[in-house]
Formats: sequence, structure tokens, C-alpha cells
Amino acid sequence: MRTMRGKGGGVRGGGIAGLVGVAMLLASVTTVCAGELSLGDPRTMVFKPVEFSPPEPERVVLDNGMVLYLLEDHELPLVSITATMRTGSWLDPIDKIGLAGMTGAVMRTGGGGGLSAEQVDAELEQFAANVSIGIGRQSGSASLDILSKDVKRGLEIFAGLIRTPAFDPARVELVKLQAIEGIRRRQDNPGSIVGREFAKMLYGAAHPSARESSLDSVTRITRDDLVTFHHNTIHPNGMILGVTGDFKKDEMVASLRTVFGNWKKGTVPELRIVDVPEAELSRPVVRFVGKETSQTHLRVGHLSIKENDPDYVALAIANDILGGSSFRSRLFNDVRTKRGLAYSVGSRLNTGMHDQGVWLMRAETKLTSTQEVIERFVANIERIRAEPVTDAELAEAKEAYVNSFVFSFASPSAIVSRLIELEYDGLPKDFLQQLRAKVVRLTKEDVLAAAKKHLRPDRLKIVAVGSGEALPKALSTFGEVKEIALSPEG
Amino acid sequence: MTYREKERLNLGCRRFSGARGRSIIGACVFIIVGLPSIFNPAYAATPSLAERVIEHRLANGLTVLMVERHQTPVVSINITFAVGGIDEQVGQTGLAHLYEHMAFKGTRGVGTTSYENEKPILDDLALVGTELDQRQRDLATKGSGATAEERAAIESLQNRLVELQTQASRYVVGNEMALLYQRHGGVGLNASTGKDVTRYMISLPSNRLPLWAAIESDRMANPVLREFYKERGVVMEERRLRNEDSPNGLLFETFTSAAFRAHGYGVPTIGWGSDILSLTPAATEAFFKTHYGPNRATIALVGDINPQETIALIEQTFGKIPAAPPAPPLVTIEPEQRGERRVDVEFNAEPAIVIGYHKPTLGDSDDDVFDVIDAVLSDGLTSRLHHKLVREKRLAVSVGSDASHPGVRAPNLFVVTATPLAPHTTAEVETAIYEELERLKREPVSPQELEKVLNNLDADLVRGLRSNSGLAAQLSLYQAVAGGWRYIVTSRDKVAKVTAADVQRVATQYFTKSNRTVAVLVKKQTEKAVAGVPAGEVRP
Repeated sequence: MRTMRGKGGGVRGGGIAGLVGVAMLLASVTTVCAGELSLGDPRTMVFKPVEFSPPEPERVVLDNGMVLYLLEDHELPLVSITATMRTGSWLDPIDKIGLAGMTGAVMRTGGGGGLSAEQVDAELEQFAANVSIGIGRQSGSASLDILSKDVKRGLEIFAGLIRTPAFDPARVELVKLQAIEGIRRRQDNPGSIVGREFAKMLYGAAHPSARESSLDSVTRITRDDLVTFHHNTIHPNGMILGVTGDFKKDEMVASLRTVFGNWKKGTVPELRIVDVPEAELSRPVVRFVGKETSQTHLRVGHLSIKENDPDYVALAIANDILGGSSFRSRLFNDVRTKRGLAYSVGSRLNTGMHDQGVWLMRAETKLTSTQEVIERFVANIERIRAEPVTDAELAEAKEAYVNSFVFSFASPSAIVSRLIELEYDGLPKDFLQQLRAKVVRLTKEDVLAAAKKHLRPDRLKIVAVGSGEALPKALSTFGEVKEIALSPEG
Repeated sequence: MTYREKERLNLGCRRFSGARGRSIIGACVFIIVGLPSIFNPAYAATPSLAERVIEHRLANGLTVLMVERHQTPVVSINITFAVGGIDEQVGQTGLAHLYEHMAFKGTRGVGTTSYENEKPILDDLALVGTELDQRQRDLATKGSGATAEERAAIESLQNRLVELQTQASRYVVGNEMALLYQRHGGVGLNASTGKDVTRYMISLPSNRLPLWAAIESDRMANPVLREFYKERGVVMEERRLRNEDSPNGLLFETFTSAAFRAHGYGVPTIGWGSDILSLTPAATEAFFKTHYGPNRATIALVGDINPQETIALIEQTFGKIPAAPPAPPLVTIEPEQRGERRVDVEFNAEPAIVIGYHKPTLGDSDDDVFDVIDAVLSDGLTSRLHHKLVREKRLAVSVGSDASHPGVRAPNLFVVTATPLAPHTTAEVETAIYEELERLKREPVSPQELEKVLNNLDADLVRGLRSNSGLAAQLSLYQAVAGGWRYIVTSRDKVAKVTAADVQRVATQYFTKSNRTVAVLVKKQTEKAVAGVPAGEVRP
């Protein structure tokens, strides 16, 4: 699941010229430029809006349905190609969780296109090409990053791995052993434990957005399973390619036709993930994992909306003010700056289009301040639900969003990958611009209404990893506390 | 939430080596200039990039490096001070890092509603806090032998501290500097402290450069250490998070402190817990005054800038800051290691191993040979350690190396790390690693391996140019630690000249038992982990 698209770090913001409404945000638009410097108080400086029209990539569809986005950029002698594939571990058979991930790993390492695993590795590394292939929960991705002088040969190898991976049995075995070792090491880091247990508490341990492989499920997986999974889910008509860098568009399209053009269409799986039922959503939960640690690792939150929800922008801004905007946020100022109780503290709204989103608050704090931190979490939710955010907070959130919009389009690869994500999710290509327009129009009342509706103290699921008998006691003021017992191998 | 410092600096100290992707942001730019023959001009799309590095030095010693890139109206800026954990005194470890945190608290103008009103309160706070720390240390020494009066005195000081903190907080505008940057579209606001350098980063829409200059010149000249004791608490939480609750963090802390007995490289950048809890506002202020002069700083700006206007802007702002006295000399030299050192770290986690050898640093020609060894051993799926330990013998899940741990301003370590694949043990992995190190002594590396190293180095250097912030980081880093950014050019040249015989000689000289330190993460079972509760079951 993605980080919030319209927000967060600016990198996912969006940005484009236009800037209708920016002037509204700025009290008086005067310009400071380096020529006529009167550097005074940085708090009162005002600047012109950022004007920027990013280049438009070209979209081409091959006869077999493969979609290409191409954007030339000749500054450096490099070509970067990404493939986004309509597959994912949501397709894992229930008794073979881990299959998709292993398939992706061995597509990369098991040879293909008529070359042995050793030949692929040796050739790619000799000319310094970087290739990666992986399959996550809701999509697969592959990338080739190569000097432009080697692009022809690189593409042949890349296409071979994607279309006709060899699944060398020794490499399958190796990936399996590594998967098992990964499972054995799952409980080593408290941060990893709390993240995974929290997801299971939200979605349920068997849900495609939270479930995990096990020693049993991985042991059951065979090479034939990988071959079949690849055959059934990787198709040209389920693939979007993004190409940026030092190439000529027509030549590149011809090269891509050569390596992918005669690949036959298949039946692309349609991404559907079941919603968690209402009865589960409304149930508050308090759980802890006992592990010898110096801090309590905390996650507090509940499931949330999808990205196309009409309340998305208002909720995203509410979250931004509450805890999503790092230094600027209420949680950061309250828990970290004023109280010195945590190094890393904040909230996140993680939304996508295919499963329910997650809204959560997080912190790591010493055992003795665990209760205080959760109390601050709850108090801050209550506050953002009870009273409108201040004019200053809303103005700051809007300015931060609008002024950092340009960073969503800061490089050709950023521009192309944004369009690919939107197409993958069935969203319009001006989705970010639509979000930005909504941000500019947003009122305090909108934010308050969204917070009331979507940030629910009565539904909080609290998961804590920490040590000592005092932890369940610290948690007990928030509900009935139960322990999650981990198995040694996850 | 990413934020400021990292405990160890993951910068391009791994220069031309190691895990691709993480490694170097380099600068083919420079290579094109320095070594025109290396690149086939046919695919060097912009051979003039190198000439685009513009260097300017202010009268106060501040160095400015600029590269213009006008594709997008943004700019990335990195201010790197040649100051880090290595500059700390005994008993004050963690000070460089704590100062970096405090540098976000504002100045006499930013972060306060009235510096005049808060100043006397801050002074009182420092006195009370320092006395409280002292009395608490005394109490800890005496333990149950402390008198009721002594305990009462502490309580009274604690109350006074809280009272003063409440008073001071009335004037605080929390995180105002960060807020200003964010409001103006700044992204990637961050800082990091390492053993060698301390760095402050931001990316902004390029027309906001005057805002940056106003904020940062003020921060370089007039920082105010407000909210000191709260921030010290934050740093303690950071220490718990990164070094105490992380098996790898604790393994590396222990390993490094075992390898260095005298030199400051043995101290974790974040500091020892007891030291952090004894750091005072006065010591922090003194550290700033000693080390944060413009003459210790390099500013690299990459993006949509006009160099002449940028220089004028920087002269007008930073130019007013007086130079600091020269840095105090670093006098401690690590004595030669006379015998293997082995340490265990017990943790409730699966095993891992780190092996390190003392070696010279930048400027010594053997250092370039280690860069080659690093790549031959662990760069990519065809590297020797990966091939042998992961694929062929299936002893390890992963294996890596690093040619300059934990810094480059002083002689450092060549490090190999590995995580075993059960049921194989760290002992088996260790033996297999030594076999590969012995092989480096015994037989020459092949011409094909050397060619691969160079091809990947060159490609990584080109890739490093893709990002404004990455290029700014590289330029300012090498300016700070290597005597100039052009080191990137000369170093690549030297790496290209490394021969198979050099590798054999260096391996033979340094990869000896008496020169090595080995740290092993040993699984410690807690009672809970072995309790017979079925997996996934919830119990009350």
C-alpha cells in the first residue's frame, strides 16, 4: 500500500503550473529576488508562486496491449525502464502464502530468455546494468537501469527474464532457503514485530493485506508452482512500461516491439480485495507482545477510507495537521518537542484504491512513558474532532502542499511513474491536480467534519511491543489487555 | 517519519564500492574532465557537466560549490561542517549529535516571541539543570546510602526545573524554522551527524533561495539552545531505538568500540547513555563556538540557480559571519593492534557476525586498493563472497563489506558482515570468509574482475548525477573530508590503476589474525520466547 498520494513528504504531492488559488493563500504577493536583496525576517518573506509545466510523456499501446510511457531526457547517458505488472501476493493460494514473492525473486535470479542464471548475472554486472524484479501485495515491478550504449543488449536480457524466466531449480531452492531464514529472523526487531502484528490486528491474519508466509507455506511451494504463477499472472496486456533517459522515442518503441511485440495476450487477473466487515472495524482492541526491549514500540489506529473517497483530501489534511507533517504536526510538537518522550512520533494515512486504507499513530518511548504517550495520542484525536483546526494551521498545511507540488514532477522518472501509478489504479491522469484544487478550496469545517467521521477513538486498535510486567498495566487504562504470543519462527 | 540525524553516516564513505544503489552518488562529471579517455565521447551526452562545478570561497573561509541544472525550478542544498563525533572530548560523547538536534531550535529571531525575555530564564534553566544532573550522579553513586536531605534537594531542583521550563515555553514558537521551510514548499529537511561530518539538508523551489540564506546564515551565527533538556530526552529515545533495541545497531556499536581502544572512532556517534545524560547547555554552546565557524563549512547547491546571484546572496548573509579559530588538533592515534579481539553480543535475535581489519584511509594508496577489494568481494550477485557463501555453500543469507568504517578522516576499518543461514553457524561463515580473504593473498584477481569493478564504478558515478540532492551531498562531503571535491576525480583515477599484484600485497599485509576484530551476535533466549503457547494464539 502506498503512502498518501496527495500528501506526505511533498514527493507524492503533485505539481503543475496553473497554481490557481495560490494567490489566495498569500496575503500580499511581493517578490524577493537576489538582485534587490533586502534580507530581513524570514518569517515575513513572500515569493512568487512556482510556475512549472513538466514535460508530457508519450503514451503508446502495443498490439498485445502492453502500455508504454516514454519521456526522453538526454542530460546523462543512461536509460531507465520500469515495468509495472498486474499480479501480486493477493493471488497467493491460501496454503502457499509466499508464492508470488518467490516467483518475483527467481524471475530475477533464475535465468531466462535462453540464458542460464550464471550467464545473466555475469553479463549484466560486467556492463554495470542494474536489474530488479519483485512482486508485492498488489502489483509486481521490474526495472532496468543501464548506460545508454548498452541498452539494446540490456533490453533483450530484461525481456527474457520477464517473458521466459528459466526458474533454475538451484536458484529456486536458494530463494526458498532464504525465505525460510527470513521467517526465522522475523521476530528479531521490535519495529518489524509491531508493524506486522498491527496490520494483522486491523485486517485479520488471513487477509491479503496482512497475511504472512510461514515455514509450512513456504516449504510446500515447488518450482512448478512458480512456473504456473508466472504463466497465469504475467501478461503483456497486464503490464505498463515506463521509459526515461537518453534514447530516441521512435527507436525505443521499435526496440520494445522487437523484444515484447510477439508476446501473446493472456487473461489478466482483476485486482479485488475483500473489505473487512463492519463488525470487525468497530471493535477496539488492546494487545501487547512481550519482548526484552528498552522501549515500548507503539502503533495505534484503525482501518480507513480508500483514495477515491470524497472525504480523502479533508482527511489527509486533518492527518497532516494531527501528525503527518513531521515538525509542523501537533503530535510531533506535543510528544517530542514539548515532552521529549519520543524520537520518532507521528501519524500516517496510508491509502490506496484496492483495499481499505490504514490510519495510524506511532511512537517508540521508554516503558515508563508508554501510558502518557497513548494518552497524548487520544487527547490529540479528541481535540481535532472537537474543535476546528486554527486558521494558521490550515493555511500552513495548504501552503506546504501547494508550494511543494513541484517536487512530484522533479524528474522524468518521477513524472512517468506518477502516470503509471494512476493508470494502474484506474485514476484519471490529472488526479493530483484535482487533489490540489480540492486542497486549495478546503475549509476548517471540512477538516473538522472529516476528522469527526474518520478518526475514531472508539475504534482504536492498540498494539505495543515491549518488556516487563508494567507494560500490560500501562495499557490497561485503554481497554482489556491481551498478549499476543509469538512463535519462535514467526 | 524520517528525520534528522542518523547514528552512523551512510554517506558515500562507501565511495566506489559496495551495494550498488546505496553507493555513490558520484560525479562522472568530474571524471569526464579528469579522464577524458575513460568515457566514450559518443555516449557522454554532456561532456561539459564537469565544467559546471563552480567554486567560490568567502573571505571568512566558507566554501561554496554550485552546479546549475535548470530542468525543474527546484534546488537542493547541503551544508556540511567538518565536525563530528571525532571532535568530542572524553565524558562528552554524543555532543556533536546533540548540538545538531539543538540547531533546529531556532535563533534569536526564529523560534521565539521574545529572545530578550526568555534569555534570563534559559540561563537559570542551565544552572538548575546542571546542578540537578550532578546531584543525580552523586545519588546514583551513593545508592541507598543517600540521605533524605539529599533526596529532598533533588526533588526541589526537579520542581524548579519544571517551573523554569514552563516559564520558558511561553516564549517558544515550536519548530518554527522547519515550519518556515515547509510553508515555502521545502522537502527533505534533515540533518545527520557522523564521526567525521555534520550535515544540514533541504530542497526548495528555487525562487525561495533568499529564505534559505536568511534562515541558515542566522542559524550559523546565532543559534539559541532552547528546550535543551527535553531534546536530550529525545536523543535518549533515539539511542534506545537505534542502538539498544536494534540487534544490528548494538552489534556494530560493540564491534567498533572493541576495534578502537584509543581513537574516537570507537565511540558511537550518538554517545554513551551516561554521557548523554550529563551533557550541559554550557558544553553544547562551547562546542558550537569551537567548531561551527564558516571556515569549517562547505555549502553545495545543485539545481535551478543563477551562480552570480547565489554568490551575492551568500556573501551578503553568510559573509558577515566571522571565521572561527582553527579547529583543535586531533591528537590521538590508535595504537597498532597486537592480537585478535573477539566480542559477543547477547540479544534475543538470530545470529550475525562482523569482522574488521585496521587499515589506512584517504590519501594512502592502499586505501584505493581496499575499494577494489570491497567491490570484488561483495558488489553484486557475481561478487566472490556472495557467490561462495550465499550461492555455492549456502552458509549465509547475505554478506557485505565496507572499506571505510566508521569514517574517513582517520585510519579506519575494512569490514565484512554476514548473516548465517540456519542451521549453519557464525563459526562456519567466519571460516568461509577467511578462505576468501586467503584466496585474495594466494591468487591474483582476474582482469575481468578488475574491469567489472571499473565499469560499475563509472556507471555509479553517472547515476549519482541524477539527483540534485545526491550531487550536493557528494560535492560537500568530499570538500569537507578529502580536501576538495576534486578528490572524486583523482580517486577514480587511482582506483583504475590498481593491479592484481596490489590486491595480493594489500590482502597479505592487512588481512592478518592479529589485526582483526570479530564481533558475534549470539542468540539469547528469554523465558517468554520458549513458553509453550501456540503460534498466533492470544492469551489474556
